[in-house]
Amino acid sequence: MNCWPPKVHLPKKSTKKGALDIMFADGLFLTFAVLAVIGAVGLVLFRHPMNGAMSFVITLISLAGLYALLSAKLIFALQLIVYAGAIMSLIIFIIMFLNIQPDDLPKEETKLLYILGSIIVVLPIGLFLVKIVKSLPITSVEFMDNNFGGVKEVGLLLFKDWLVPFEIVSILLLVSLIGAVILAGKRGTSK
Amino acid sequence: MIHNYLLLSIILFCLGIVGVISRRNVFTVFMSIELMLNAANLAFVAFSRFHENMDGHVLAMMVMAVAAAEAALALAVVILLHKHKSKLDTNVFSLLKG
Repeated sequence: MNCWPPKVHLPKKSTKKGALDIMFADGLFLTFAVLAVIGAVGLVLFRHPMNGAMSFVITLISLAGLYALLSAKLIFALQLIVYAGAIMSLIIFIIMFLNIQPDDLPKEETKLLYILGSIIVVLPIGLFLVKIVKSLPITSVEFMDNNFGGVKEVGLLLFKDWLVPFEIVSILLLVSLIGAVILAGKRGTSK
Repeated sequence: MIHNYLLLSIILFCLGIVGVISRRNVFTVFMSIELMLNAANLAFVAFSRFHENMDGHVLAMMVMAVAAAEAALALAVVILLHKHKSKLDTNVFSLLKG
């Protein structure tokens, strides 16, 4: 595997079409990034969890778009199918199942104060990470034209180099399945 | 440029931390944790594109599997807690306080 330092792509002597493509990709990135941040802010600010879940779905879908821009085709599909499809529909199903009325929700009068305080706590960590990111070498992102990130390549990698973690993940899923059955199947007599 | 993706990932992760710290609704806290997992996924895929090998994609798939397992278990626990206390406030769930 190739490792540090990564190969640096020199930007192509721009034909007009290539420059246009890069501009288009930048526009798409900006759109998706703004949508993702708006969805995340909505998740943090909305009072009812249903509204929060809906704005979180926006974040997930725009993250899928970003994966497509990074030419991760399999992860793009999995993000849409597994995250925005399966996990979020599970969460929304449970929120609807519990039939939450507005006065069941916790009263958060000091929410804005808490948000302000947590921003003050988190800000130094964020700035530290930004400083780390700024120190990385600059590469340009072009679309990879080969089969980077396709199903076949990632699958081969998964079943060759990552076989043991894959099996461990399967055990994890089995454990969570058994745990969910035990938790949900508890009847009144067993208490 | 790859820096933008990493900066976006940092922003999303910090928003997730803010949600976990400042909110008291169980579902919002849970979805903020999912948001942090997604931010980590974005960083994995961006670095994978940066280094041009696909290990990050495999790791992102594993994070998704962990998130699915977590969602199943956490929602079962939330349903049980709601049955016991009929509240969704994390301050009410202090059974282990001793």
